[in-house]
Amino acid sequence: MTTSLSYSSPKPSGGFELWAWLFMRLSGLALLGLALGHLVIMHLLNNVDAIDYNFVAGRYVGWFWRGYDLAMLLLAMLHGLNGARTLLDDYVPARRRRAAVTLLYLIGAVFLVMGTVAIVCFTPVTAPHS
Amino acid sequence: MPRPVVRHQYDAVIVGAGGAGLMAALEASKTCKTAVVSKLYPTRSHTGTAQGGIGAALGNVEPDSWEWHMFDTVKGGDYLADQDAVEFMCQEAIRVVYELEHMGLPFNRTPEGKIDQRRFGGHTKEFGKAPVRRSCYAADRTGHMILQTLYQQCIKQAVSFFDEFHLLDVLLQDGRCAGVVALCLATGEVHVFHAKAVLLATGGFGRMYKVTSNAHTLTGDGCTVVFRRGLPLEDMEFFQFHPTGIYKLGILITEGARGEGGILRNGRGERFMERYAPTLLDLAPRDMVSRAMYLEIREGRGIEGKDYLHLDLTHLDPSVIDRKLPDIADFVRTYLGVDPHRQPIPVQPTAHYAMGGIPTNLHAEVLDERGQVVPGLYAAGECACVSVHGANRLGTNSLVDIVVFGRRGGQRLAQWAPAADHLPLPKEPEVMAQEALSRLTTNLGGESAAQIRDELQQAMMAQVSVFRTEAGLKEALAAIVQLRVRYGRVDVQDKALRFNTELEEALELGCVLDLAWATTVAALARRESRGAHCREDFPDRDDANWLKHSLAVLRDGAISLSAKPVTITRFQPKPRVY
Amino acid sequence: MLVDVRIKRFRPEQDAQPRWAAYRVEAEPTDRVLDALNTVKWRHDGSLAFRRSCAHGICGSDAMMINGRNRLACKVLIRDLRPPIVIEPMRGFPVAKDLIVDMDGFFAKYRSVKPYLITEEPAPQAERPQSPEQRERFEDTTKCILCGACTTSCPSFWANREYLGPAAIVQAHRFLFDSRDHGAAERLPVLNERSGVWRCRTIFNCTEACPRGINVTKAIGEVKKLLLRQSVK
Repeated sequence: MTTSLSYSSPKPSGGFELWAWLFMRLSGLALLGLALGHLVIMHLLNNVDAIDYNFVAGRYVGWFWRGYDLAMLLLAMLHGLNGARTLLDDYVPARRRRAAVTLLYLIGAVFLVMGTVAIVCFTPVTAPHS
Repeated sequence: MPRPVVRHQYDAVIVGAGGAGLMAALEASKTCKTAVVSKLYPTRSHTGTAQGGIGAALGNVEPDSWEWHMFDTVKGGDYLADQDAVEFMCQEAIRVVYELEHMGLPFNRTPEGKIDQRRFGGHTKEFGKAPVRRSCYAADRTGHMILQTLYQQCIKQAVSFFDEFHLLDVLLQDGRCAGVVALCLATGEVHVFHAKAVLLATGGFGRMYKVTSNAHTLTGDGCTVVFRRGLPLEDMEFFQFHPTGIYKLGILITEGARGEGGILRNGRGERFMERYAPTLLDLAPRDMVSRAMYLEIREGRGIEGKDYLHLDLTHLDPSVIDRKLPDIADFVRTYLGVDPHRQPIPVQPTAHYAMGGIPTNLHAEVLDERGQVVPGLYAAGECACVSVHGANRLGTNSLVDIVVFGRRGGQRLAQWAPAADHLPLPKEPEVMAQEALSRLTTNLGGESAAQIRDELQQAMMAQVSVFRTEAGLKEALAAIVQLRVRYGRVDVQDKALRFNTELEEALELGCVLDLAWATTVAALARRESRGAHCREDFPDRDDANWLKHSLAVLRDGAISLSAKPVTITRFQPKPRVY
Repeated sequence: MLVDVRIKRFRPEQDAQPRWAAYRVEAEPTDRVLDALNTVKWRHDGSLAFRRSCAHGICGSDAMMINGRNRLACKVLIRDLRPPIVIEPMRGFPVAKDLIVDMDGFFAKYRSVKPYLITEEPAPQAERPQSPEQRERFEDTTKCILCGACTTSCPSFWANREYLGPAAIVQAHRFLFDSRDHGAAERLPVLNERSGVWRCRTIFNCTEACPRGINVTKAIGEVKKLLLRQSVK
C-alpha cells in the first residue's frame, strides 16, 4: 500500500478538554474534602434520627452551610456531568453524540437549578413542631 | 492467469528501508522524485536489531584516530578489504555519527555531555596495542535508534514509501538499469517502477542457515535478482558467524556484553580465549572467537559436553547490565529463563553477516564482471560488497557501512539522476516476474517450500558454516543442486492474491537457494583459510594465490568464478594475531 | 508435546465474516507462539497469514491478541500460556487477512505528532551536548517499536477511532522531553485536541500491553502535565 506522508490535523479545540481535565482533578480533590466533611457531620457527629427540618433550618440561618452545600452541589454535578459527557463522547456514535450531550446538559441544568434554588431561596420558618 | 499490473515512474527507486535505504532516500529525495520500496514497514527492518554500537574514532573517552580504525578494519578483514574504501569509510564514520546525532539520535552520553563510547571486538588503539573505546552506542539498541531516527527524518522530508512490496526483478537494458518490478503484498498486483536510478539496500541472507541472528525476512532478494540478471556477486564464501547467539535460537547477544566485561567460559569454567587471543581475549574478532568456540565444543569442553558454552556476566555490576545491556537481559530472561545477574548465558555461534554481495565501488555504484559501472544501478549495506569488511567484518562496522555508503550512494545518485534520461522499458517488463509467480501458484509438483528450506538450512549449517572441508562442501553442493531441482516443483497452496505470505516465502526460498549455491561454489574454490572462511584442509592464509576477491556469475545455468584484485594502500598483509 | 491453537481467520476474498480454525501442533514448552504459528503455516495450512520478521521482540511485526491479551507472538512462550492458545488480530484496526491488520491509520497518527527532532539552532561541528540526566529523561519512550499493541488494547481507542492513541503520544513524548528539541509549539496543539491526550482515561491497558515495558500511561500523564504547564504559563 502506498502511504502518503502528509496528515492533515484538525484545528485545535481551544483547550477545553485541558481545562475540563484540570477541573476533574481539582473538583475531585475538593469533593473528597467536602463529601468527607458532610459524611462526618451527618453520620458520625449526628445521626439520621437527629437530622430534621429544624437541624437544616438551623444551619441555613447563616451563609456558611449554604455555601458549603452549594459548592458540593455544583462541583458534584459538574464533575459527574463531565464524566458522563466523556462517556457519551467515547461510546455514542458521532451522529447521535450531539443530541445525547445536549440531553445530558438539559437534565443536568434542571437538577442544578432545582438544587440551587432550594439552597439559595430557602427561608427558615419556625416549625410547628413539638 | 497474469496478475494486474500497475506502472509508476520515478527518478529514483530505493529498494529496502533499513539504515542504508533510508539514508540513501534522504539524500536522493533532495534532488529526485524518489520512491522507497520495502517488503516491510520501514521500522520493521533488520537494522533495528543491531545492538552494540556504531564505530567511529570520535575520541570522546580516550584518544583515537580514524587510521587506527582503518587498520583494525583491514586486519579484522584478514587483508581482503579494499583499503581505499576502508579509508573513506573510517573517515566518513566520524562525520555520519555527528550527522545522526544532529538528526536526533539519542546516544548514551559521557558526564561531559558527549557521545559515550565503549569497547568492541577487534577495535584497538595504536595499531593493535590494546582495546579502545570506539563504539558509539545507545544502550543495546543502537540499531533501533538509527532506524527510528532515519525513518523520522524521512517523514520530515515527506519521502514516498511503498510499504510491503516484495522485490521480484531488476530491469536491465543494454547494461543499464531501467527500474524494478515488485509484488504488492496487500493486493497481489505486480508493480513496475520505471526509474532512472535504482539503489538496492535489501540486506543480508542469513536465512540460508538454521541457526541465525537474522530475521525471517533476510533472504537476499536484492542480491538474487541482480545475480539472476547476470551480474556478479563478490566474496560470497565469506559469511560471518557471531560468537554469542542464544543457544538454539540464534538470537544475538551483542559483543557489547563482552565489551562491558563479559567473559566466555567452557564446560570447565575456563576463560578459553586466553589460549586463542592472548591480547584481546574475548574481544578478538568474531571469526576467531567463533572458531575457538567450535574447537572447544569439538574437544568436549562444551557445557556438560554439549554444543554450547557460557557467556558469563555475573561478575559485572548489576546496574551496568540494567543500564547498558537492558534488552539482552530481557532476551535471556524471556527465552531462557536465565537471570544474567546471577547465571551464565548459554551461547553458540550464530550465522550473522554476509561480507559478500553485489560488488560496488566506494560510491555505491554497482560493478559488472569487468569492473565497469552499471549506469543507474547502486547498492549499499549488507547486500553490497564494497569491499570494506574483507573476509570478516568487525563489530560496529555494519552500522558504519550502511550509513556511510547509503549516504554516499544516495548523494551520487542525486547528482547523476537529474541529468539522466529514463531508458525505454522493454515491452513487457514484468514478464519474468509474472512467470515466476504463476509457476509457483499453478505447479502440481507436490514439493513443500518449508521442507526444502529446512533441508537447505541443515546442509548449510553442517557443511558451510564456521569450519569447511572439500568433502563437506561437495556434499552441500550436491544437496543444493538437488534442492534447486525440487524447488522447481514447489506448489503454493494459497492461491489468493491478497497477502499471500505463502507465495512470498516460496519466492524467498528461491533467493536463499541461489545464494547458498553461490556461497558453496565460492567456498569450494577458495583453497585457503582467511577470515570467516576456514578450510580445515587448507588451514593457512595463502596470499600468494588467494589475496583476491572472488566473483560468481550465473551463466547458462551454471556459476562461473573469476577473480578481482584487492586494493592495498597503507597496510601490507601481515600474519593476523591478537 | 501437542498444543491446541485456535486462530481467528479471515480470508478477504472468500469470507464475509471471520471464522475460527483449530490446529493441533507439535511444540516444545520453550517455543515461542510464533514458532507454533510457523508450524501451522509450514506443516498444516500454508495460507495462514501473519506478519513476522526478527522473531525476538524488536521489529514489532507480530503484535496480536493471544489468550485475550495483546502481545508479540515472538515474545511469549508456550509454557507461559494456558492451553488452548487463542490467537486473534489486534482489535480496532481493519483486518486485512487472518492476523494481518491494516496499520495505515496507525502510522498516519504517528506522523501527525511530528515525530522528528525539531530545532532552530544550526548544528555544531560535533555533537549537541546533552547530559546523561537529560538523556535519561526520555529513555523510556525511545524504546517504542510501533507494534501497535498499546493502541489496540486501549478502550478509549476502541470506543473512538479518532483518538491519537498511546503509541503516537509515546512518540511525541520522546521528543517533547528531549533537551535538544524545540518543537513543542508545533506538537502540543495536536496533542491538545479532543482527539489528543485528553481521550486517555488512565485505564493502564497500554502499559500492561507494551512488550517493551514502557510505562505508557505515565508518559501520557507527563504530556498532559506539560500541556497544562504550557497553558498556565
